[in-house]
Amino acid sequence: MTTALEQAIQLVLSGDDQLVNIISVTLQMSIPSSVISLLLGVPLGVLLAFCSFRGKEVLVILNRTLMGLPPVVCGLLCYMLFSGVGPFRHFRLMYTIPLMVIAQVILITPIVIGNMESFAQRITPAVRETAHGLGLGRGRIFLLLISETRYQVFSTYLLGFARSIAEVGAVSMVGGAIAYKTNVMTTAIMNYTNRGDFTLGVALGIILLAMSLVLNLTVSLIQGRLSR
Amino acid sequence: MKHNKLTALLLALAMVLALAACSNNQGQTQQSPSASPETSEPMETPAETPAEGVDLTILFEQDDDMLNTYSLLAVNPDAPFVDADGNAVSDVYVNTEGAAALINWMLSQEALDLAGNYGYEEYGEYLFYVLDDAPVSTAEIPAATEDTAVIRMSTTTSVNDSGLLGYLLPFFEEEYGYTVDVTSAGTGAAIANATYGNADLILVHSKSQEESFVADGYSYVLDGFEAERLPFLYNYFVLCGPSDDPAGVRDAATVKNAFALIAEGEYPFVSRGDASGTHTKEISLWPEELGITTEADSVADYAGWYNYSNAGMGVCLTMAEEMHAYILSDKATYLTFRANNGVME
Repeated sequence: MTTALEQAIQLVLSGDDQLVNIISVTLQMSIPSSVISLLLGVPLGVLLAFCSFRGKEVLVILNRTLMGLPPVVCGLLCYMLFSGVGPFRHFRLMYTIPLMVIAQVILITPIVIGNMESFAQRITPAVRETAHGLGLGRGRIFLLLISETRYQVFSTYLLGFARSIAEVGAVSMVGGAIAYKTNVMTTAIMNYTNRGDFTLGVALGIILLAMSLVLNLTVSLIQGRLSR
Repeated sequence: MKHNKLTALLLALAMVLALAACSNNQGQTQQSPSASPETSEPMETPAETPAEGVDLTILFEQDDDMLNTYSLLAVNPDAPFVDADGNAVSDVYVNTEGAAALINWMLSQEALDLAGNYGYEEYGEYLFYVLDDAPVSTAEIPAATEDTAVIRMSTTTSVNDSGLLGYLLPFFEEEYGYTVDVTSAGTGAAIANATYGNADLILVHSKSQEESFVADGYSYVLDGFEAERLPFLYNYFVLCGPSDDPAGVRDAATVKNAFALIAEGEYPFVSRGDASGTHTKEISLWPEELGITTEADSVADYAGWYNYSNAGMGVCLTMAEEMHAYILSDKATYLTFRANNGVME
């Protein structure tokens, strides 16, 4: 009896070109979107914790609200902006990987910011005290703070990547799940399920989990090195 | 530290195994033993026992009211496109040459023959038939140029899920150098997608919705054709239900009578509820006095037996299987659903 696990292994071993394409599209989307979100979110999050100014609370609350932005709402927004009649139609990005990345950056950046902000908030007083003792300027203190959060950056990255790889609402809307072009793991699972092909859906799910496992192991290895 | 990592790894492995185990169970309950001769467990399973595999059976088909006609429509580049606020948008990009090339190819004798024979090898049944009066094109098809190479086709889930396009389009793409980007949704959404300027042509199966698309000026007559709407393929919807058929629709004279029987006895029915072509067809089959429309509030009084699910065909078929409910499906998706669970009629 061919179980989903066997089918998953068979699929991987056979190097089925559609599967290879789905995995490659998934990575072409997830890696840029998680990295861009990290590059935007880490400095912004730490800055938000580091600086004190009027209206900061408002920004924090706004960001926390955006952390809960439903992916389908984000997808709808991007769809309306970039569709053939939308204001950004001239970019011709509808149903392309770059638009999927844009939608995911909108989704993930607030999560990165929120995560970094709440972590940096906790260590800022201690870092500030040390830095004052050493007589460092504001710029140096900020850099020191960033370097103190590096351990957190990895787990935040994993969070962002997990969100990106697991997300289906926004990417199916702006990507259109076009075979060999914008079909990622999650939209492919949806497609197979819609077709009543559950075994293949579960097989893809197992592969998705396995990919996540490999990434997590790699990152925790690097993280372990760094914290030593 | 080291122990933590080991625990995490073990946990992750356990998760994967649990998922595999779940699918194992599912396989054992849903897959027919006849499809898996190497199974070691002895199972008493006469071939007729409907408890194994899929119980959902085709109970009624091939009524003229169940005709399911697929049409091609080219998107008019000068259509009255409007943005989300209702303001006119004039410079919407439409790949008219690519769309014309694809439509001319789809309606060539070669492609019509391919479509007409599709599915016979895999399912032992023809999934699509070519309409007798389908417009046949003999026009020369230009090779792709840089500007026309990508053609955006918006279609319905049933066409896409049947695998027809995955089978047909490579012939076209390889010969003429185009790439066809296929997006699929229910007919309502597929048409809306084109009115938002995201498609060059549509392939759908809901006459009333196609006609209003044409009436609103979103389609135009291609060179060499007589109408905007180009019906070319058809097949049949099928009424499926539990094999013991509590409503007795098997013996109904017409499909409308069959639907009346279901409504009378208030037997569970799963509706797509997503303004798809299948949904539109289903609406037209209920007795008129029930007042069922595509709007959810029209069925609020029937919530006890009428399940307005708002989901794709495959999901709805599973739902019907679980609930021992009746359901209207296109034949292609039903056959895929059935084949996947290991039982073929």
